[in-house]
Amino acid sequence: MRAQVIDGKAIAGRMRAETRAQAQGLAETGWMPRLISVSVGDTAAAEIYVRNQGRAAEQAGVEFETRAYPEDISLEQLTGVLTGLNADPRVNGIIIQRPLPAHIPVKALQRAVHPLKDVEGMHPASIGNIVYNDLALGPCTAVAAVEILKTLPLGLEGLDVTVIGHSEIVGKPIAFLMMGLGATVTVCHHMTRSVPMHSRASDAVFVAVGKPGLVTGEMLKPGAALIDIGINRVETPEGGRTVGDADFDSCAEVAGWITPVPGGVGPVTVSVLMQNAVLATRMQMEHYRATYTGAAQ
Amino acid sequence: MSATIIDGKAFAATIRGKVGEHVDRLKETHGITPGLAVVLVGEDPASQVYVRSKGKQTLEAGMNSYEHKLDADTSEADLLKLIDLLNADPAVHGILVQLPLPGHIDSDLVINSIDPAKDVDGFHISNVGLLGTGQKSMVPCTPLGCLMMLRDHLGALSGLDAVVLGRSNIVGKPMAQLLLGDSCTVTIAHSRTRDLPDVVRRADIVVAAVGRPEMVPGEWIKPGATVIDVGINRIEAPERGTNDDGSVKTRLVGDCHFESCAAVAGAITPVPGGVGPMTIACLLANTVTACCRANGLSEPEGLTA
Repeated sequence: MRAQVIDGKAIAGRMRAETRAQAQGLAETGWMPRLISVSVGDTAAAEIYVRNQGRAAEQAGVEFETRAYPEDISLEQLTGVLTGLNADPRVNGIIIQRPLPAHIPVKALQRAVHPLKDVEGMHPASIGNIVYNDLALGPCTAVAAVEILKTLPLGLEGLDVTVIGHSEIVGKPIAFLMMGLGATVTVCHHMTRSVPMHSRASDAVFVAVGKPGLVTGEMLKPGAALIDIGINRVETPEGGRTVGDADFDSCAEVAGWITPVPGGVGPVTVSVLMQNAVLATRMQMEHYRATYTGAAQ
Repeated sequence: MSATIIDGKAFAATIRGKVGEHVDRLKETHGITPGLAVVLVGEDPASQVYVRSKGKQTLEAGMNSYEHKLDADTSEADLLKLIDLLNADPAVHGILVQLPLPGHIDSDLVINSIDPAKDVDGFHISNVGLLGTGQKSMVPCTPLGCLMMLRDHLGALSGLDAVVLGRSNIVGKPMAQLLLGDSCTVTIAHSRTRDLPDVVRRADIVVAAVGRPEMVPGEWIKPGATVIDVGINRIEAPERGTNDDGSVKTRLVGDCHFESCAAVAGAITPVPGGVGPMTIACLLANTVTACCRANGLSEPEGLTA
């Protein structure tokens, strides 16, 4: 094995320490960042994520409150809840936990969150800003994957990058973030004729598909960086375990850097959420001051 | 020369014909006439030509055209007031603010104050995000026109390797989104790309939108590829002689070197007469789309992404 294994937990820890300092600064001016987690129906599925977020919030100096609503709540009622949270100046960020019940379309809820409180970076306006290279609140997983790549000693201008998977919340935002940083980006997906043709020509590969073992060592250029965003539960003779989209062992033989699963992109994603909480709070503070103190004039 | 020349003028006429049919149907069946409001601030001569031509084609398609010409020193606040009125006007289905705006006006603020549902240019940040997340949006006219030409010429685009040259907000980026939406494998190349010839040579579809005259030579093109040239560049043409004032005559060229690319490509759009005529046709198409959506009617077939 020659690849250096990227320590996502360490990166996440450093980010949280920075966020904590900024959160304290905001709290001293009366703007303590505060997140509200909204879950609907059976909360067991999301419980581990919510717990992780709560712990990360504590470490980052961000207040975190969970609210759970019954399975049979209507879309109108939930939108009303969000409108209330949007209007509440003590709330700086709203997290919509998934899965949601079948009768609640996730995109409708994401659109209902005020863009300034969209700490998950899922509102069309947030995605639009990413495309226009104006990074305000970005989708957490995509930002985390890019933040990890930025810690490596690679010049991003002109870097050849392949993104495997073109989902709206991970693959495509990564492509636009990397393009904004000057990389030449190719986006591959299930209709791509030859993924290896593209991935083998790349200095960095992001994979976010949800298929264990999809990327193997022979698909990589020697020395390339591999950022594995997949999280898959697989059964092995030794019991169940969590793996990424890469065949870790063969990829680690060829890559220069590789993120492990778990312990790679996952922990950094939660740190980005906290970073967004602080950023959202600051944006709201500035918006408030510009609107009510005449500071804009 | 082996490439098929894609006739943008003829294809734009087909699109305008379809727009006209949809307009007739909206009038007859629903009693609705789609309306497009165009706002021009100042006296930029090129903008005046565009606005006149948009107004003329809007009327020819059977739609209502509302032109608002404001003085160059119009305040931002007054312009925003006009946008508010147009947003609230049920007879107006599309609003286009002709760019560039005078320097004292914040263009982003003005564009983002248009109701996204009436933003027929597709530049509102919400439309950018809706396109980026695969939701119904207003799609910028030039890339929409390119997509229609590609579909018309190639049929299904799924699985084809596409390279978009240029990462501008109005062409390159939305073009990449649209091609991904049609399941192409998409590479976005730009000024920082290291080995441009090599990247372009992999592509079944090349969309060039960088604004550099004849930058792409034929030897970069994969034999049989489809080349869509969005560039419109004016260069000196000494072979045409001189003007009365002694200056050298000029001509329009694209971002691709036409003769050498046409010798290799399977199909290519000329400049002028390729992508250019499609842009206004797509503006009309977007206005019909916005009108259908505003009235809860189904999407007009063949006019959307």
